[in-house]
Amino acid sequence: MPNMTQVIKAALSTAAALTLTACGPEHGSSREGNAARGRELLDRYGCNACHRISGVRDAVGTVGPPLDDIGSHVYIAGTIPNSAPNLARWIQTPQAYKPGTAMPNLNVTDADARDMAAYLAGLR
Amino acid sequence: MKTARTALLLVLIAALAAGACVGLGVYNVAATDQHTEAVYWLLKASMRQSVRVRARDVRVPDLTDAAQIDRGRALYQAHCVRCHGAPGVAPESFALGLRPVPSNLAHSAREWSAAELYWTIKFGLKMTAMPAWEYRLPEAELWAIVAYLQRMPEESPQQYAMQVRDVQRFAVASNAADSPSVRPGDAARGRKAIQQYACTTCHRIPGETGVRASVGPPLDGMGRRGFIAGLLPNTPENMARWLQSPQEVHPGSAMPNLGVTARDARDMAAYLHTLE
Repeated sequence: MPNMTQVIKAALSTAAALTLTACGPEHGSSREGNAARGRELLDRYGCNACHRISGVRDAVGTVGPPLDDIGSHVYIAGTIPNSAPNLARWIQTPQAYKPGTAMPNLNVTDADARDMAAYLAGLR
Repeated sequence: MKTARTALLLVLIAALAAGACVGLGVYNVAATDQHTEAVYWLLKASMRQSVRVRARDVRVPDLTDAAQIDRGRALYQAHCVRCHGAPGVAPESFALGLRPVPSNLAHSAREWSAAELYWTIKFGLKMTAMPAWEYRLPEAELWAIVAYLQRMPEESPQQYAMQVRDVQRFAVASNAADSPSVRPGDAARGRKAIQQYACTTCHRIPGETGVRASVGPPLDGMGRRGFIAGLLPNTPENMARWLQSPQEVHPGSAMPNLGVTARDARDMAAYLHTLE
Protein backbone atom coordinates (compact mmCIF):
# COMPACT_ATOMS: atom_id res chain seq x y z
CA MET A 1 0.00 0.00 0.00
CA PRO A 2 1.80 3.17 -1.10
CA ASN A 3 1.25 6.09 1.24
CA MET A 4 -0.20 9.41 0.22
CA THR A 5 3.13 11.23 -0.19
CA GLN A 6 4.43 8.58 -2.52
CA VAL A 7 1.28 8.71 -4.59
CA ILE A 8 1.47 12.47 -4.86
CA LYS A 9 5.15 12.32 -5.74
CA ALA A 10 4.54 9.71 -8.37
CA ALA A 11 1.68 11.71 -9.84
CA LEU A 12 3.75 14.85 -9.89
CA SER A 13 6.73 13.20 -11.50
CA THR A 14 4.49 11.55 -14.09
CA ALA A 15 3.04 14.93 -14.90
CA ALA A 16 6.53 16.33 -15.12
CA ALA A 17 7.61 13.52 -17.37
CA LEU A 18 4.66 14.12 -19.67
CA THR A 19 5.43 17.80 -19.97
CA LEU A 20 9.13 17.15 -20.43
CA THR A 21 9.19 14.38 -22.93
CA ALA A 22 6.75 13.71 -25.68
CA CYS A 23 7.90 10.13 -25.99
CA GLY A 24 9.65 7.59 -23.80
CA PRO A 25 8.31 4.72 -21.72
CA GLU A 26 5.76 5.40 -19.10
CA HIS A 27 7.25 6.35 -15.82
CA GLY A 28 6.11 6.76 -12.28
CA SER A 29 6.34 4.03 -9.74
CA SER A 30 8.91 1.88 -11.54
CA ARG A 31 12.01 1.28 -9.43
CA GLU A 32 14.43 1.49 -12.32
CA GLY A 33 15.25 5.05 -13.24
CA ASN A 34 14.34 6.34 -16.65
CA ALA A 35 17.62 7.49 -18.15
CA ALA A 36 16.06 9.36 -21.09
CA ARG A 37 13.89 11.38 -18.74
CA GLY A 38 16.84 11.86 -16.40
CA ARG A 39 18.78 13.44 -19.20
CA GLU A 40 16.05 16.05 -19.69
CA LEU A 41 15.85 16.63 -15.96
CA LEU A 42 19.59 17.35 -15.74
CA ASP A 43 18.85 20.33 -17.95
CA ARG A 44 15.67 21.31 -16.13
CA TYR A 45 17.24 21.32 -12.68
CA GLY A 46 20.05 23.43 -14.05
CA CYS A 47 22.78 20.86 -13.36
CA ASN A 48 24.35 21.97 -16.62
CA ALA A 49 25.04 25.39 -15.15
CA CYS A 50 27.76 23.91 -12.96
CA HIS A 51 28.71 20.60 -14.58
CA ARG A 52 29.88 19.41 -17.94
CA ILE A 53 27.70 16.39 -18.76
CA SER A 54 27.94 14.65 -22.10
CA GLY A 55 24.64 14.44 -23.92
CA VAL A 56 22.95 17.15 -21.85
CA ARG A 57 21.98 20.47 -23.40
CA ASP A 58 24.30 23.41 -22.61
CA ALA A 59 26.16 21.37 -20.03
CA VAL A 60 29.42 23.28 -20.13
CA GLY A 61 29.58 24.48 -16.51
CA THR A 62 32.91 24.41 -14.75
CA VAL A 63 31.86 25.13 -11.20
CA GLY A 64 31.78 21.49 -10.21
CA PRO A 65 33.64 18.53 -11.66
CA PRO A 66 32.85 17.26 -15.16
CA LEU A 67 30.42 14.32 -15.15
CA ASP A 68 31.30 13.04 -18.61
CA ASP A 69 32.14 9.58 -17.28
CA ILE A 70 30.65 9.81 -13.81
CA GLY A 71 29.33 6.26 -14.14
CA SER A 72 32.87 4.94 -13.98
CA HIS A 73 33.96 7.05 -11.02
CA VAL A 74 34.69 5.13 -7.85
CA TYR A 75 33.40 7.83 -5.48
CA ILE A 76 30.77 10.53 -5.51
CA ALA A 77 31.82 13.80 -3.89
CA GLY A 78 35.10 12.20 -2.92
CA THR A 79 33.64 9.90 -0.32
CA ILE A 80 30.41 8.08 -1.25
CA PRO A 81 30.84 4.78 -3.10
CA ASN A 82 29.37 5.31 -6.52
CA SER A 83 26.17 3.47 -7.39
CA ALA A 84 22.93 4.64 -8.97
CA PRO A 85 21.03 4.61 -5.64
CA ASN A 86 23.82 6.53 -3.90
CA LEU A 87 23.95 9.01 -6.76
CA ALA A 88 20.22 9.57 -6.37
CA ARG A 89 20.63 10.16 -2.63
CA TRP A 90 23.50 12.55 -3.20
CA ILE A 91 21.51 14.51 -5.80
CA GLN A 92 18.66 14.89 -3.33
CA THR A 93 20.61 15.79 -0.22
CA PRO A 94 24.17 16.87 -0.98
CA GLN A 95 24.28 19.10 2.08
CA ALA A 96 23.47 16.16 4.33
CA TYR A 97 26.42 14.16 2.97
CA LYS A 98 28.89 17.01 2.74
CA PRO A 99 27.92 20.07 4.79
CA GLY A 100 29.17 23.22 3.15
CA THR A 101 29.48 21.77 -0.32
CA ALA A 102 28.91 24.20 -3.17
CA MET A 103 26.28 21.78 -4.48
CA PRO A 104 22.92 23.00 -3.19
CA ASN A 105 19.88 21.00 -2.15
CA LEU A 106 17.55 21.49 -5.10
CA ASN A 107 14.40 19.84 -3.73
CA VAL A 108 14.73 17.01 -6.20
CA THR A 109 11.94 14.44 -5.94
CA ASP A 110 12.70 10.75 -5.42
CA ALA A 111 11.64 9.86 -8.93
CA ASP A 112 13.58 12.67 -10.54
CA ALA A 113 16.72 11.83 -8.58
CA ARG A 114 16.37 8.19 -9.63
CA ASP A 115 16.02 9.15 -13.29
CA MET A 116 18.96 11.53 -13.25
CA ALA A 117 21.05 8.91 -11.46
CA ALA A 118 20.06 6.37 -14.09
CA TYR A 119 21.31 8.64 -16.86
CA LEU A 120 24.51 9.56 -15.03
CA ALA A 121 25.29 5.96 -14.11
CA GLY A 122 25.28 5.13 -17.80
CA LEU A 123 27.97 7.70 -18.58
CA ARG A 124 31.22 5.83 -18.90
CA MET B 1 67.84 -1.99 -55.52
CA LYS B 2 67.53 -5.64 -54.66
CA THR B 3 69.18 -5.13 -51.24
CA ALA B 4 66.82 -2.26 -50.51
CA ARG B 5 63.83 -4.45 -51.27
CA THR B 6 65.17 -7.28 -49.10
CA ALA B 7 65.80 -4.83 -46.26
CA LEU B 8 62.30 -3.45 -46.54
CA LEU B 9 60.86 -6.97 -46.50
CA LEU B 10 62.89 -7.84 -43.39
CA VAL B 11 61.70 -4.68 -41.62
CA LEU B 12 58.13 -5.54 -42.52
CA ILE B 13 58.49 -9.10 -41.20
CA ALA B 14 60.06 -7.81 -37.98
CA ALA B 15 57.23 -5.30 -37.51
CA LEU B 16 54.65 -8.03 -38.09
CA ALA B 17 56.38 -10.36 -35.66
CA ALA B 18 56.54 -7.60 -33.03
CA GLY B 19 52.87 -6.84 -33.60
CA ALA B 20 51.97 -10.51 -33.23
CA CYS B 21 53.98 -10.73 -29.99
CA VAL B 22 51.98 -7.86 -28.51
CA GLY B 23 48.63 -8.90 -29.92
CA LEU B 24 48.88 -12.55 -28.91
CA GLY B 25 50.28 -11.80 -25.46
CA VAL B 26 53.30 -13.97 -26.18
CA TYR B 27 55.64 -12.46 -23.61
CA ASN B 28 55.03 -13.64 -20.07
CA VAL B 29 55.02 -10.66 -17.70
CA ALA B 30 54.66 -12.81 -14.57
CA ALA B 31 57.28 -11.92 -11.97
CA THR B 32 57.68 -15.62 -11.26
CA ASP B 33 59.08 -16.03 -14.74
CA GLN B 34 62.55 -14.55 -15.17
CA HIS B 35 63.34 -12.84 -18.46
CA THR B 36 65.24 -14.89 -20.96
CA GLU B 37 68.98 -14.31 -20.91
CA ALA B 38 68.82 -12.21 -24.08
CA VAL B 39 65.98 -9.98 -22.91
CA TYR B 40 67.58 -9.60 -19.50
CA TRP B 41 70.86 -8.58 -21.05
CA LEU B 42 69.18 -6.08 -23.34
CA LEU B 43 67.18 -4.48 -20.52
CA LYS B 44 70.11 -4.39 -18.15
CA ALA B 45 72.54 -2.97 -20.73
CA SER B 46 69.99 -0.30 -21.73
CA MET B 47 69.41 0.67 -18.12
CA ARG B 48 73.11 0.70 -17.28
CA GLN B 49 74.03 2.80 -20.27
CA SER B 50 71.12 5.17 -19.71
CA VAL B 51 72.32 5.85 -16.16
CA ARG B 52 75.94 6.20 -17.25
CA VAL B 53 75.10 8.81 -19.87
CA ARG B 54 72.84 10.83 -17.59
CA ALA B 55 75.11 10.72 -14.54
CA ARG B 56 78.01 12.18 -16.50
CA ASP B 57 77.35 15.76 -15.47
CA VAL B 58 76.63 15.06 -11.81
CA ARG B 59 79.08 16.86 -9.57
CA VAL B 60 80.06 14.72 -6.62
CA PRO B 61 80.70 16.45 -3.29
CA ASP B 62 83.10 15.19 -0.63
CA LEU B 63 81.69 11.94 0.74
CA THR B 64 84.29 10.98 3.32
CA ASP B 65 82.85 12.70 6.37
CA ALA B 66 82.18 10.10 9.07
CA ALA B 67 79.07 11.86 10.38
CA GLN B 68 77.63 11.96 6.88
CA ILE B 69 78.28 8.24 6.46
CA ASP B 70 76.53 7.49 9.75
CA ARG B 71 73.59 9.58 8.71
CA GLY B 72 73.51 7.75 5.40
CA ARG B 73 73.47 4.42 7.21
CA ALA B 74 70.48 5.52 9.28
CA LEU B 75 68.68 6.67 6.17
CA TYR B 76 69.54 3.42 4.45
CA GLN B 77 68.13 1.52 7.39
CA ALA B 78 64.94 3.61 7.24
CA HIS B 79 64.31 3.61 3.50
CA CYS B 80 66.36 1.01 1.61
CA VAL B 81 66.89 -2.10 3.68
CA ARG B 82 63.42 -3.55 3.20
CA CYS B 83 64.05 -4.08 -0.49
CA HIS B 84 67.82 -4.21 -0.78
CA GLY B 85 68.81 -5.85 2.48
CA ALA B 86 72.14 -4.95 4.07
CA PRO B 87 75.29 -6.83 5.07
CA GLY B 88 73.90 -9.85 6.86
CA VAL B 89 70.32 -8.63 6.58
CA ALA B 90 67.91 -10.18 4.09
CA PRO B 91 65.41 -8.06 2.19
CA GLU B 92 61.84 -8.53 3.34
CA SER B 93 59.89 -11.37 1.81
CA PHE B 94 57.87 -9.26 -0.63
CA ALA B 95 61.02 -7.71 -2.07
CA LEU B 96 62.29 -11.12 -3.07
CA GLY B 97 59.23 -11.47 -5.26
CA LEU B 98 60.14 -8.43 -7.34
CA ARG B 99 61.52 -8.78 -10.84
CA PRO B 100 64.03 -7.39 -11.35
CA VAL B 101 64.96 -8.41 -7.83
CA PRO B 102 66.46 -5.43 -5.94
CA SER B 103 70.23 -5.38 -6.19
CA ASN B 104 72.59 -6.18 -3.39
CA LEU B 105 74.04 -2.73 -2.97
CA ALA B 106 77.33 -3.81 -1.47
CA HIS B 107 77.88 -5.27 -4.92
CA SER B 108 76.44 -2.29 -6.82
CA ALA B 109 78.55 0.14 -4.82
CA ARG B 110 81.64 -1.53 -6.17
CA GLU B 111 80.44 -1.44 -9.75
CA TRP B 112 78.73 1.95 -9.90
CA SER B 113 80.29 5.38 -9.48
CA ALA B 114 79.06 7.77 -6.78
CA ALA B 115 77.47 9.94 -9.48
CA GLU B 116 75.60 6.94 -10.89
CA LEU B 117 74.38 5.84 -7.46
CA TYR B 118 73.20 9.36 -6.73
CA TRP B 119 71.41 9.65 -10.06
CA THR B 120 69.67 6.31 -9.58
CA ILE B 121 68.53 7.11 -6.06
CA LYS B 122 67.33 10.55 -7.04
CA PHE B 123 65.49 9.69 -10.23
CA GLY B 124 64.64 6.02 -9.75
CA LEU B 125 64.41 3.42 -12.48
CA LYS B 126 61.29 3.01 -14.56
CA MET B 127 59.91 -0.53 -14.83
CA THR B 128 61.83 -1.65 -11.80
CA ALA B 129 60.54 -1.15 -8.27
CA MET B 130 63.18 1.52 -7.67
CA PRO B 131 61.37 4.73 -6.76
CA ALA B 132 62.62 8.24 -7.36
CA TRP B 133 63.58 9.83 -4.05
CA GLU B 134 63.87 13.32 -5.46
CA TYR B 135 60.57 14.42 -4.00
CA ARG B 136 61.03 12.49 -0.79
CA LEU B 137 64.48 13.25 0.51
CA PRO B 138 66.44 16.49 0.44
CA GLU B 139 69.62 16.68 -1.56
CA ALA B 140 71.93 16.35 1.45
CA GLU B 141 70.26 13.09 2.46
CA LEU B 142 70.55 11.65 -1.04
CA TRP B 143 74.28 12.28 -0.87
CA ALA B 144 74.49 10.88 2.66
CA ILE B 145 73.06 7.60 1.36
CA VAL B 146 75.61 7.58 -1.47
CA ALA B 147 78.36 8.23 1.09
CA TYR B 148 77.17 5.26 3.13
CA LEU B 149 76.82 3.02 0.07
CA GLN B 150 80.44 3.65 -0.83
CA ARG B 151 81.36 2.53 2.64
CA MET B 152 79.04 -0.48 2.69
CA PRO B 153 81.29 -2.99 0.87
CA GLU B 154 83.93 -2.36 3.53
CA GLU B 155 81.68 -3.18 6.46
CA SER B 156 81.22 -6.68 7.77
CA PRO B 157 77.75 -7.89 8.73
CA GLN B 158 78.82 -7.70 12.38
CA GLN B 159 79.93 -4.12 11.97
CA TYR B 160 76.70 -3.21 10.25
CA ALA B 161 74.62 -4.79 13.01
CA MET B 162 76.60 -2.94 15.66
CA GLN B 163 76.39 0.40 13.88
CA VAL B 164 72.67 0.14 13.32
CA ARG B 165 72.05 -0.78 16.93
CA ASP B 166 73.92 2.30 18.04
CA VAL B 167 72.25 4.67 15.67
CA GLN B 168 69.38 6.69 16.97
CA ARG B 169 66.70 6.30 14.37
CA PHE B 170 66.66 9.59 12.49
CA ALA B 171 63.38 11.38 12.45
CA VAL B 172 63.21 11.86 8.72
CA ALA B 173 61.10 14.98 8.43
CA SER B 174 59.08 14.80 5.27
CA ASN B 175 59.18 18.56 5.02
CA ALA B 176 62.95 18.64 5.11
CA ALA B 177 63.04 19.05 1.34
CA ASP B 178 61.14 22.26 1.63
CA SER B 179 62.67 25.54 0.63
CA PRO B 180 62.49 28.08 3.41
CA SER B 181 61.35 31.08 1.41
CA VAL B 182 57.92 31.35 -0.13
CA ARG B 183 58.10 31.80 -3.87
CA PRO B 184 55.55 31.44 -6.64
CA GLY B 185 54.76 27.90 -7.74
CA ASP B 186 56.83 26.37 -10.50
CA ALA B 187 54.33 24.75 -12.87
CA ALA B 188 56.91 22.69 -14.76
CA ARG B 189 58.24 21.22 -11.54
CA GLY B 190 54.69 20.73 -10.33
CA ARG B 191 53.88 18.61 -13.32
CA LYS B 192 56.73 16.28 -12.46
CA ALA B 193 55.63 16.25 -8.84
CA ILE B 194 52.15 15.16 -9.94
CA GLN B 195 53.66 12.01 -11.38
CA GLN B 196 55.80 11.56 -8.30
CA TYR B 197 52.88 11.71 -5.87
CA ALA B 198 51.11 9.19 -8.12
CA CYS B 199 48.09 11.47 -8.63
CA THR B 200 47.33 9.62 -11.87
CA THR B 201 46.54 6.50 -9.86
CA CYS B 202 43.19 8.17 -9.05
CA HIS B 203 42.75 11.14 -11.39
CA ARG B 204 42.71 11.54 -15.12
CA ILE B 205 45.04 14.42 -15.94
CA PRO B 206 45.44 15.56 -19.53
CA GLY B 207 48.88 14.95 -20.95
CA GLU B 208 49.90 12.45 -18.26
CA THR B 209 50.55 8.87 -19.24
CA GLY B 210 49.12 6.57 -16.62
CA VAL B 211 46.28 4.26 -15.72
CA ARG B 212 43.56 6.83 -16.49
CA ALA B 213 41.57 5.79 -13.46
CA SER B 214 38.54 7.68 -12.21
CA VAL B 215 38.75 7.14 -8.48
CA GLY B 216 38.54 10.89 -8.05
CA PRO B 217 37.28 13.49 -10.50
CA PRO B 218 39.13 14.17 -13.74
CA LEU B 219 41.38 17.21 -13.50
CA ASP B 220 41.08 18.46 -17.05
CA GLY B 221 40.02 22.09 -17.06
CA MET B 222 41.05 22.35 -13.41
CA GLY B 223 42.28 25.91 -13.96
CA ARG B 224 38.71 26.99 -14.69
CA ARG B 225 36.95 24.83 -12.10
CA GLY B 226 34.91 26.80 -9.58
CA PHE B 227 35.54 24.76 -6.47
CA ILE B 228 38.04 22.31 -5.07
CA ALA B 229 36.37 19.25 -3.56
CA GLY B 230 33.14 21.24 -3.74
CA LEU B 231 34.28 23.14 -0.68
CA LEU B 232 37.07 25.61 -1.41
CA PRO B 233 36.96 28.36 -4.02
CA ASN B 234 39.52 27.35 -6.62
CA THR B 235 42.60 29.48 -6.11
CA PRO B 236 46.21 28.27 -6.25
CA GLU B 237 46.53 28.93 -2.50
CA ASN B 238 43.48 26.85 -1.69
CA MET B 239 44.63 24.13 -4.06
CA ALA B 240 47.99 23.96 -2.30
CA ARG B 241 46.18 23.73 1.03
CA TRP B 242 43.91 20.97 -0.27
CA LEU B 243 46.83 19.00 -1.70
CA GLN B 244 48.65 19.14 1.62
CA SER B 245 45.75 18.36 3.91
CA PRO B 246 42.67 17.03 2.14
CA GLN B 247 41.49 15.28 5.30
CA GLU B 248 41.42 18.58 7.13
CA VAL B 249 39.35 20.25 4.40
CA HIS B 250 37.05 17.30 3.85
CA PRO B 251 37.20 14.75 6.66
CA GLY B 252 36.47 11.30 5.31
CA SER B 253 37.51 12.12 1.77
CA ALA B 254 38.92 9.25 -0.26
CA MET B 255 41.79 11.58 -1.03
CA PRO B 256 44.50 10.73 1.47
CA ASN B 257 47.04 13.00 3.10
CA LEU B 258 50.14 12.16 1.09
CA GLY B 259 52.76 14.04 3.04
CA VAL B 260 52.99 16.66 0.31
CA THR B 261 55.56 19.32 1.13
CA ALA B 262 54.55 22.98 0.96
CA ARG B 263 56.85 23.52 -1.98
CA ASP B 264 55.52 20.56 -3.94
CA ALA B 265 51.93 21.56 -3.17
CA ARG B 266 52.58 25.07 -4.44
CA ASP B 267 54.19 23.77 -7.61
CA MET B 268 51.44 21.23 -8.30
CA ALA B 269 48.81 23.91 -7.70
CA ALA B 270 50.62 26.14 -10.18
CA TYR B 271 50.54 23.39 -12.77
CA LEU B 272 46.91 22.45 -12.17
CA HIS B 273 46.00 26.09 -12.55
CA THR B 274 47.35 26.03 -16.11
CA LEU B 275 44.93 23.26 -17.15
CA GLU B 276 42.31 24.91 -19.31
